[in-house]
Amino acid sequence: MPLLKRITALIIIAAIVQQSAAQDFSGFKAFKISEDNKVFKINTLYKNSEGYIYAGTTNGLYTFDGKNFTAVHFLNPAVKDTVTAIFQDNTQQLWVGFKSGKLAKKINGHLQYFEPEEGTPKVAITAFLQDKQNNIWFATNGEGIYYFSNKHLYLLNEAEGLSDKYVHTLALAANGDVLAATDQGINICSIAGSKKTVQVIGPKNGLPDYYITAIAPAGNNTFWIGLQEKGVCLYNHTTKQITIPAAANQWPYGQVNALLGTQNSLWIATQESSLLKLSGTNGSMVRVFATATDKNNLNNLLQDNEGNVWMTGAEELIATTGDKLSLLPLYNKAVYETIHTILSDYQNNIWVGTDGGLIKYTVSNIKTATTFFRVKELSSKTDITGLYQDIYHNIWISTMGEGIFVMDAATGKYRNITENPRLKKASLLSITGYGNTVCAGGLEGVATIFQLTEINKTIAANYAFTNYDSIPNVGNNYIHSVFKDSRGRIWFGTDGKGITVLQNGNFLHYDKSNGLKDEHVYSFTEDAKGRIWFNTKDAGIYSFADGKFKNYATAEGISDLKITSIKTDGLGNIIVVNEKGIDILNPESGLITYLNNAQGIGDVNTAIESTATDSSGNILLSTENGIVMYTPIANTVQQPKTIINSVQLFLQPVDTSGMHQFKYDENGFTFNFTGLYYTNPAEVHYQYKLEGWDTSWIATKDQSIPFPNLRPGTYTFHVRSSLNENFQNASESTYRFVISSPFWKRWWFIVLSILSGALLMFWYMKWREKNITKMQLLQQEKIQFRFEVLRNQVNPHFLFNSFNTLISAIEENPKTAVDYVEQLSEFFRNIVNYRDKDVIQLGEEINLLKTYFYLQQKRYGDNLKLNITIDEASKKQIFVPPLTLQLLIENAIKHNAVSKETILKIDLFLQDHHLVVRNNINPKLSQQSGTGMGLQNIINRYNILSKDPVVVNNDKKYFTVLLPALKQQQ
Amino acid sequence: MLKKLTIFSGLLLLLSFSMQQDYKVTAGSIAFRSDAPLELIKAQSSDLKGLFLADKKQFAFIVNIKSFKGFNSPLQQEHFNENYLESNKYPTASFEGKIIEDIDVSKDGEYVIRAKGNLSIHGVVQERIIKSEITVKNGNISIRSNFTVLLADHNIPIPKVVYEKLASEIKVDIKADLIKK
Repeated sequence: MPLLKRITALIIIAAIVQQSAAQDFSGFKAFKISEDNKVFKINTLYKNSEGYIYAGTTNGLYTFDGKNFTAVHFLNPAVKDTVTAIFQDNTQQLWVGFKSGKLAKKINGHLQYFEPEEGTPKVAITAFLQDKQNNIWFATNGEGIYYFSNKHLYLLNEAEGLSDKYVHTLALAANGDVLAATDQGINICSIAGSKKTVQVIGPKNGLPDYYITAIAPAGNNTFWIGLQEKGVCLYNHTTKQITIPAAANQWPYGQVNALLGTQNSLWIATQESSLLKLSGTNGSMVRVFATATDKNNLNNLLQDNEGNVWMTGAEELIATTGDKLSLLPLYNKAVYETIHTILSDYQNNIWVGTDGGLIKYTVSNIKTATTFFRVKELSSKTDITGLYQDIYHNIWISTMGEGIFVMDAATGKYRNITENPRLKKASLLSITGYGNTVCAGGLEGVATIFQLTEINKTIAANYAFTNYDSIPNVGNNYIHSVFKDSRGRIWFGTDGKGITVLQNGNFLHYDKSNGLKDEHVYSFTEDAKGRIWFNTKDAGIYSFADGKFKNYATAEGISDLKITSIKTDGLGNIIVVNEKGIDILNPESGLITYLNNAQGIGDVNTAIESTATDSSGNILLSTENGIVMYTPIANTVQQPKTIINSVQLFLQPVDTSGMHQFKYDENGFTFNFTGLYYTNPAEVHYQYKLEGWDTSWIATKDQSIPFPNLRPGTYTFHVRSSLNENFQNASESTYRFVISSPFWKRWWFIVLSILSGALLMFWYMKWREKNITKMQLLQQEKIQFRFEVLRNQVNPHFLFNSFNTLISAIEENPKTAVDYVEQLSEFFRNIVNYRDKDVIQLGEEINLLKTYFYLQQKRYGDNLKLNITIDEASKKQIFVPPLTLQLLIENAIKHNAVSKETILKIDLFLQDHHLVVRNNINPKLSQQSGTGMGLQNIINRYNILSKDPVVVNNDKKYFTVLLPALKQQQ
Repeated sequence: MLKKLTIFSGLLLLLSFSMQQDYKVTAGSIAFRSDAPLELIKAQSSDLKGLFLADKKQFAFIVNIKSFKGFNSPLQQEHFNENYLESNKYPTASFEGKIIEDIDVSKDGEYVIRAKGNLSIHGVVQERIIKSEITVKNGNISIRSNFTVLLADHNIPIPKVVYEKLASEIKVDIKADLIKK
């Protein structure tokens, strides 16, 4: 067969031997922290449990959100102490160590100095660690290692065998041992029980040197060890073996300051040789920042939750994309402009299609070798559109106008596939394959599928093929790609006629009528779950599963609808390539992250076949600066984490862990939040909603939202963030709080008020009732008394006696009889005068009394004595119910014997605010019965008029009645 | 007990050989306080003895348990000695160790230092770090220190009956004057 007619010897243009460390990609960003033009040095970095980066500086502690540094509020704001160590323990407690030896932690929500009873070191604190018993350790620069245990602080120093009290850093081993890096070897400290042991590891154990500067965990109880002069080595704490990686032999890079072990590499921050990366896959050592001359004195390596690698420089904080992106500057601009397709082969060599042939780049630890494979038939005008390596490791080359060539990758021998006449001078747009199938599609409806068998191990044998010339609904249309999936279906992507699928011998067609918004389909990929994905000209990408299409365009977060190609990476993410970089879509969550010019990727080739996937699942892009490799990193954050940084009440911070209840006048709130995303913080979109105030989500780019003058009520502040406009799976943070009504609006107050009102009304009515009753009683008593008096006065007995006396008087002394009658009439006249009054002046009552007495004295003579000792003032000031005293006197006369032997003496005087009527008791032989109602009546009347009771005393000698002296007129 | 005596006499021996700056306690008092919800117990002793070797930064202090006075009742003192501290078995309490900082006692001044040493009470030795204030004046040193002793650390159990009358954390206050030997 005339296959091997044109076998062209390969020409090796040049084997470009690179320097011992190949140049690598930086894509770094640098941040400075300064105030008033004074730049502060960052001594230490720390990532907390939320992924927030802390920076310990010469001006105190700061947090960094990817854009700005914010000072962490210290209880005494004037304190700006130099921070040298930061740690968060497993109870979320924050610990800070200072150059002065002081310690600080958050007590009652405020970061403040903390002085244990044992005191704090006098030298700088260099590192913290929490061991397997949850004890907190801290290493110092000159006093050894301290640790807290059982309420006490203990110290490990030379007394326990610590080889050096200047400890740089600590690491925790699987069995609970604490490894300490010092200038005198590694100290392995154990405090099992109360027994403290320190074991020293040095050169006698295999360490290259004593001067240990860094220890970083590498998994499985192994640790990377950094040294001052001798580079790095790997220490296995289980076997106690020490191994030195090949690239670290004859270490020429100087002092190692810090180490960071990631999934794929060991990052080494050095003092004089900037940043190094030791590859875990091929053992190569590359120097990052090769072009930047000022990146020295690097330290404090830290990996954020997105996989970026951070470090401190002389005066700045530096971010790189870490393992995610690396650059292989394999070709120059001239070569770049000829490239339309690349390929990564089974040995991870990189092939590119260029004018007239292929270039193969072999990247290794030592050098990059370049080999050119000429394809004679190809002029500079014939583009190579696609490359594919089949299962027999032969490379297929699709071209514009010369059909398909197949090349032996080892020898460079090739032939054009002439056994398929359809391919003669054909223009193919792509070439792909699956298993033992190779597919190609191109202009004028050409679509061919090759089936490989054992004979195709060499390129000499003919390939079995099938041409699909007249696919229904496709016709002469361009076929951008022919794709075979894991289920054996063949997909044909056309330029304007939608998709045709060959399944079990049947052609199925999908176009606008099936929901495809754009019928120009460029390329296909299959994800880990068997979904088929493809990109269209203007409508973004689609996934196809279970007979359904799902579209991802701008609304879902696709950054650029001019999509170059679509690939699946090693972790199952869909990589959507555009001219600025890539969108990384997680097919399960729909979350999309972005890497582009902002991360240092230069302009990306827009030819459909110019991206490739390698055997590890990395994505290779052809860019103007070289081949950029994207390495997917497992367990990284794929969206911003929404964190409410602080809640302020009238611009004063509120303790969000505790109080959530506020008074009615505490109603001016400000919410400060961050969607934490370090890769591209400027791209973060926010939405917030104050439930209880807003009815829907509000979009904002601000990170601080004020709400002045909130009414009393229950509120929940929601905020969420996203890298695009799609908030479906966004991380959300909330703060719930209550503003109480003022007490006068509270239910209990209102109820109490009503009850009080009711009670007051009730009491008032009762009081009135009492008064009315009292008045009624008084009235009643008055009537009763008048009645009594009247009754007494109309008492026939009194009249009878009075007349008897009168008769005697008329007989004895007519003149006195006239007086007597006058007094009698006077007496009765007074009764008439006073009977309506409630009370009369004492003076008036006394006059009446005197009148009555005169009448009685006429009868009894000197056997009746009345002694009145009351001053004139009192006679006017004191009041008595009328006829009270008269009735008492009358009672006295009625109930006592009055004779020469038994003189009745009645005294009337004032005593202690009482009016006293007292008479001596002369018992009568026969008691004239009185009803007793008169005295009772007096008592009753006084009860109404005064609080003081009327007191009646009878001590068998004297009968005394004490009447309360009424001062005012009732 | 024997161990303590050995250490103590060892230091004494060291003292006799050295010709450096060595200090001896001339007046030392130690007071402790148990502040429990139902009772406050205080006692003190002026029987504190000790040595400080300035060059080596080593020190040792020792006190006789039976020398503590001032309890709320003689019975309480008796319980203290017989039941709690078992002073017949463990007649002394001591603290000896080494100072962490470097200290220059030739210069007058006030210093705050921390001592890392072994605190032995009731026969149980606990490593402790104890902070003290040292005043150097005219070549003499005076030390002032207060710290907490946890009864559990030294195997001194509190019977349930006196639970509210005996604090589990005892506050100790030490004052000592030392002169150069």
